[in-house]
Amino acid sequence: MTLLIVRLRLRMWRTALSRSSVQLVSAIIGGLVALGAVGLLGPSIALLAARPLALTAVTVPLFAGVTLLWLVLSLVATGVDNVLDPTRFTVLPLRAPELARGLLAATLTGIPAVVLTLLALAQVLAWSSHTAAVPAALAAAVLGPLTAVLLTRAVTSALAGVMTSRTGRLLGAAVVALATLLPLVLNLLVTSGEPGLSLRSLDARGAAVVASWTPVGWAWGLPFDVATGRWASAVVHLALALGLLAVLWRVWVRQLERVLTSPMTSGGGQHIGRGRLLPRLLGHSPTAAVAARRVRAWYRDSRLVSIALRTAVLPVFFVVQAAVTGTGALAGTGVVTLAVFAGLTLMNDLAFDGPAWWMHVSTGVRGWEDRLGRVVASAVVFGPVVALTFVVSVGIGAIEAVLAWLAVVVAAFGASLGLAAGVGAVLPGTAPRTGGNPFAASSGGAAQGCLTALVSFVGPVVLVLPVVVGAVLSRGSALLGAVVVVVSVLYGAGLLAAGVVLGGRHLDRTAPEMLGRLGQVQV
Amino acid sequence: MTDAPGEGPALELVGLVKEFRGRRVVHGLSLAVPRGCLYGLVGPNGAGKTTTLSMATGLLRPTAGTARVLGHDVWADPLAAKAVMGVAPDGLRLFEQLGGRELLHYVADLRRMPQDVSRPRAEELLTVLDLAVDADTVVADYSAGMVKKISLAAALIHAPRLLVLDEPFEAVDPVSGQAIRTILRRYVATGGTVVMSSHVMELVEGLCDRVAVVAGGRVLAEDTVAALTATGSLHQRFLELVGAGDVSEDGLTWLGG
Ligand SMILES: Nc1ncnc2c1ncn2[C@@H]1O[C@H](COP(=O)(O)OP(=O)(O)OP(=O)(O)O)[C@@H](O)[C@H]1O
Ligand SMILES: [Mg+2]
Repeated sequence: MTLLIVRLRLRMWRTALSRSSVQLVSAIIGGLVALGAVGLLGPSIALLAARPLALTAVTVPLFAGVTLLWLVLSLVATGVDNVLDPTRFTVLPLRAPELARGLLAATLTGIPAVVLTLLALAQVLAWSSHTAAVPAALAAAVLGPLTAVLLTRAVTSALAGVMTSRTGRLLGAAVVALATLLPLVLNLLVTSGEPGLSLRSLDARGAAVVASWTPVGWAWGLPFDVATGRWASAVVHLALALGLLAVLWRVWVRQLERVLTSPMTSGGGQHIGRGRLLPRLLGHSPTAAVAARRVRAWYRDSRLVSIALRTAVLPVFFVVQAAVTGTGALAGTGVVTLAVFAGLTLMNDLAFDGPAWWMHVSTGVRGWEDRLGRVVASAVVFGPVVALTFVVSVGIGAIEAVLAWLAVVVAAFGASLGLAAGVGAVLPGTAPRTGGNPFAASSGGAAQGCLTALVSFVGPVVLVLPVVVGAVLSRGSALLGAVVVVVSVLYGAGLLAAGVVLGGRHLDRTAPEMLGRLGQVQV
Repeated sequence: MTDAPGEGPALELVGLVKEFRGRRVVHGLSLAVPRGCLYGLVGPNGAGKTTTLSMATGLLRPTAGTARVLGHDVWADPLAAKAVMGVAPDGLRLFEQLGGRELLHYVADLRRMPQDVSRPRAEELLTVLDLAVDADTVVADYSAGMVKKISLAAALIHAPRLLVLDEPFEAVDPVSGQAIRTILRRYVATGGTVVMSSHVMELVEGLCDRVAVVAGGRVLAEDTVAALTATGSLHQRFLELVGAGDVSEDGLTWLGG
């Protein structure tokens, strides 16, 4: 059974790749990124063997952090962890533990898990100068990746279970939103704790002790315990790590049992009120209709609720961090990041529609109306959040160069919306199936995700750069500052218009082809 | 037949070809559906009915060939063709986060219909198709038959001149089925044209004016129902045309054994 599921996964992957050149290209990019990660990080970790214990100890917080990040990423980025959706197996006479073993094996043979395992092996090399610690490091290399994978499976399946009901959906969304922010909180703690960290004088032992007492660090702490001769805590850590695995396994199997016996639905009998506000606000043109539908989706669709919450909570932490550390640039960057994220949520809007998008094709909606409607929806949902964060940041004094930052924020919002409107018309991205597991990922989704991610990271930076330069140059002069604001508003609007027009034209030309692809973007 | 002289057919397919990754599934298919006709498209599973109807409605680009709707080339002038045509495909999802009523309003807005026309029409459609009670339930929670009915309503709301329906009666209960039959007959009587695919021969025989039998991406027979059924029921004609693959007496003996 286990072997069968692994083979099934590989076959699905191969079919996905052979069907689309976009997926092939982005799979190659993803593979290169993975190779690069192993090729660059692996040796640097292994070379820690030649360093004193104080430095080698850095593997503990490092890998504990990676484990945590693993969980967070799989909550945020659907499509990263490309495992088969268990609901697909409901009709087969399979017992949950069998299925769990198979899915676990399929995950462990996926590219991300292989990368993590290779890095964990590099960690064994890092401890090779402490002979006694080598077996412990080996144990960590086995237990650690297992913990990462099982933790993710257990947490996402439990959350997915909770999120089938309406209140549960909000609860789950809140948990996800907070979990996503965990690394930011950690960052906040670290930067506020010890300023001026230098690698040479780094003594990671303190951090290693702390990290080894967190659940994600229990396994990774083993070699450090042994190398420092603290056998008692090694034994405790081993017991805890094994216990955690057992608990996670139980949780996951229990969730699978539930899924196998009662497949998830979107929470039956969902009655809706008659929205009157949106039509009054937006009117009844095709563009307005699209916008109103997308706005409604932001609070009706469990797949989007958590994204919305997360995006909205994100800036709070930036602003708090700025207030704590007293760096104004941080608050400004926070608002800009929020603006960019908010704009980029538009990127896989088409994937969320999926094959239902045929209704746009058959009614003859123009491409630009489709694009503009979605832009308006994102602006209605996120515009106020961005504006509010900016005003509050200015109010509490976290942002001082108000005009300069205003220019950058406006340009960033416009540019990322425009970018997403344009690129989203070419690369539809992927999304979880409606009513299905909100964390289910598609096979091959990770690959296309890589290409989209590349565009999402590089695009906004390149597009906003001119405005940043202008804002920096205009510092000190109120008049010049005002000019830069006006120019950046025009610039953002221009990019937005370009994205809408170009993306719309592309959709007009290739609507049937896009519809064909949208049949495969949801899992 | 309300076919006015000098007017072309409501739907005209000429030499339609579709290849999926090199595999040809529709082989130069040609059809002409006269105006004011209720036209049935029948054929075995995988015959290419859905593929053909998708190409005729602008949802799937043909590898070769042309499709014309009331004189408008679907692929050269898609907007004009789509404006006079209503489509209810089979197996494609709807916007499931919307309620039934919202979905109808949505489609009407996309088609630029004035509100004072579209809103009363939506209510009437919901009532006639027995969906009024569930008008404010999201489509995600609809049953298969309810989905079929709301798709039909969405295809009808702009009063198109040509209706293209892929298996409109599948999963629909007898009462709603009767309602749909009445709607379609009345629609055709007022000059509208319907092209529908179906697997239920009795239904096609009783409802349609003309029938095309499609198999393997080709038209095997095309005529009025009366002519096709001159020598027996449409059911028998169909089995003759596509060649009934008998399950031999001693096959599948392990089943239930
Ligand atoms: N997207 C696709 N990719 C590859 N092959 C396809 C695709 N869509 C349809 N086909 C193939 O085209 C052929 C015709 O399919 P189509 O759906 O048109 O049949 P149909 O007549 O509607 O069948 P049914 O009565 O079962 O609905 C089938 O052999 C099918 O495998
Ligand atoms: Mg079909």
